Amino acid sequence: MELMRRSWAIVWKDLLIEARTKQAFNAMVFFAALVLFIFSFALGPDTELLREVSGGLLWVGIAFTGILSLNRTYQSEETSGGIEGLRVYPGDPRAIFLGKLFGNIIVLLAVEAVLFPAAAVLFQIEMLPHVGELAVVALLGTIGFSIVGTFYAALTVNLRAREVMLPLLLFPALVPMLLGAVNATTLILVGDPMQDSDIWIRLLIAFDVIFFVISTWIFPIALEE
Amino acid sequence: MAVRSVYGRATGTSPGSVAGLREEVITSAPTIGPAVELQDFSKRFGWNRVLRGIDLRVERGTTLALVGPNGAGKTTLLKCLVTLLHPSGGGGTVCGYDLREETDQIRERVGLVTVRGYIYDDLSAEENLRFTARMCGLEVSAEGYRAALARVGLERVADQRVRTFSTGMRKRVVLAQLRLRPLELALLDEPYAGLDLQGMSLVDEFVREFRAAGTTVIIASHQAGEATRSAEQTLVLREGRLEPMDHDAAARSHLSAQDIGAERA
Amino acid sequence: MIVTSNSGTARLIGIAALVTMLVGSFVGLFVVSPDRLQGDVQRLMYVHVPAAWLAFLAFFIVFLMSVLYLIQRDLKWDRVAHASAEIGVVFTVLTLALGSMWGKPTWGVWWTWDPRLTTTAIMLAIYVGYLAIRSFADDPDKRARWAAIVGIIGFANVPIVYLSVIWWRTLHQPPSSPRSVSPEILWTLLFNLLAFTLVYVYLMMRRIRLAKVEGELEQRVAYNG
Repeated sequence: MELMRRSWAIVWKDLLIEARTKQAFNAMVFFAALVLFIFSFALGPDTELLREVSGGLLWVGIAFTGILSLNRTYQSEETSGGIEGLRVYPGDPRAIFLGKLFGNIIVLLAVEAVLFPAAAVLFQIEMLPHVGELAVVALLGTIGFSIVGTFYAALTVNLRAREVMLPLLLFPALVPMLLGAVNATTLILVGDPMQDSDIWIRLLIAFDVIFFVISTWIFPIALEE
Repeated sequence: MAVRSVYGRATGTSPGSVAGLREEVITSAPTIGPAVELQDFSKRFGWNRVLRGIDLRVERGTTLALVGPNGAGKTTLLKCLVTLLHPSGGGGTVCGYDLREETDQIRERVGLVTVRGYIYDDLSAEENLRFTARMCGLEVSAEGYRAALARVGLERVADQRVRTFSTGMRKRVVLAQLRLRPLELALLDEPYAGLDLQGMSLVDEFVREFRAAGTTVIIASHQAGEATRSAEQTLVLREGRLEPMDHDAAARSHLSAQDIGAERA
Repeated sequence: MIVTSNSGTARLIGIAALVTMLVGSFVGLFVVSPDRLQGDVQRLMYVHVPAAWLAFLAFFIVFLMSVLYLIQRDLKWDRVAHASAEIGVVFTVLTLALGSMWGKPTWGVWWTWDPRLTTTAIMLAIYVGYLAIRSFADDPDKRARWAAIVGIIGFANVPIVYLSVIWWRTLHQPPSSPRSVSPEILWTLLFNLLAFTLVYVYLMMRRIRLAKVEGELEQRVAYNG
């Protein structure tokens, strides 16, 4: 489909530039590792405690790191004339949203691929038996975060107080997603005899679908000049 | 009546083509009527009225020079024509398609060259073209890219990052981008800025080729001489309003727009 | 449906609001009998519940006006949305404060993660975001457009947040209204609800009229300044 091809063209372009400049990925991994370390120090060596809060810690790390990624989503367009440079091409402008969205998801997943194993080591949690379920939750949570984040980043990219406005708008919107991701992850790691994580996974799926539909529908209006 | 264009889709297996490019004819409707028609068109940013009550008609296949001092609104007008900006008042059509309702169709047929160009510093010249091709839904072979770059004299730096390029070289990449796909309307914003004589004659060649292919061209420039020598019609944009200009007088005397203002005063 | 700026009507409504508020407060404080379990503290319900109801109603109006603006692009819808958001913030803060005041003697804590209270707090954050983003655009059309987008997505988020917090806190006290209430409590509550609604309408009429004048002033300054 034309829309998808153009979206992937944008992903290709952004990943290529990122691979060459290596700006964002390194900063994000470093930042995420820092967050994990600080939490380890703060919570001490009590492995029981660490395991219980591990879900929350992981997602705090992912959320903060994710915001770094979001800030730079549209910044890469700045030197090339801004987002105009993408809007001037033929076709549905939603390809811009999808392209940036997929790019954000991929980069964030790449950071998580480092983050989760690091957390397993630092917090001494057995993650391997649950890899499949963790991957599902990580994917759904990352998608939800990226959808809302990519959208609000587009809205705030030209604002003077962008660094304040983006988190301010993002936080309330992320509450359901964070609840879902943190609870699901914690249940998976701590033990889930009653399969409660199902309900949180369903919440994540609903969140992702609802916000994906709303965001792609409204995106062209956010781009208007 | 169809518009013929030289800049066709390039495929790897097209026989009898010149370095991968071949002739293509656009036959989609509507192809009659003016390339641009604006009625009482205005654009404001907040309270700043940049364009006011513009009435404009540009016939297909002609070349229009749009001159005026910096800040007059030339860039804004061009951006409106390529639907980057939404009209504040009035309306019009570009290539027969409504400016408010049919923006996607307009962008399929209209190309814009800006002063800095929409190119990425961290990609090579060829990669920039590749991106443009993909975003326009074009299939271009490797030879096609080489040919496009060779046309603007950049074949030797095809794989160099644009960051290392001079202003003139960047301009050439932008021109190469413009030529990748068939256009009904080409909008050139200050195409001569920052170019040496060789570069400027390259732009003139492009304008000639556009005209031969039936593409309408609008050149915006603050220097009347360069733009008007290629154009059949010249209009002055001053403080958001469009006025006619004595074409021959300006071409002969190479006046700058400021001089035009002084002459009229 | 849009409230007019007719000062005669506004004054009438203002008087009606004042009168009903006085009567409602008097009845709520002195006439109606106190709750058997909670005592006089329960009287806070007569202001807390209407305030909460109006906070959500005001936000719904913001949503509705935002949608109308995006469809019709008439700034009058934006003015109503802006007014409703400002007044809504006041009611939201009032709800939270009263909820806190009610909670301390009843449950011993200033704050609980009760689903409705939590959702109200998050709604406050969304409101603040809505008002904040308006401050970044001088262009009234751009401002209205951004605000409308934030308003729509923000409101869409409220039910999702509510559901997710309910799931999260299923152990907590269930919503208390289904409990059998005596007619005198119900009528007092409804009367106060009417009083608060009249206050809302009166404030809206005044604020919208003010917004109209502000808009004209902005326009005049821009053209002459």
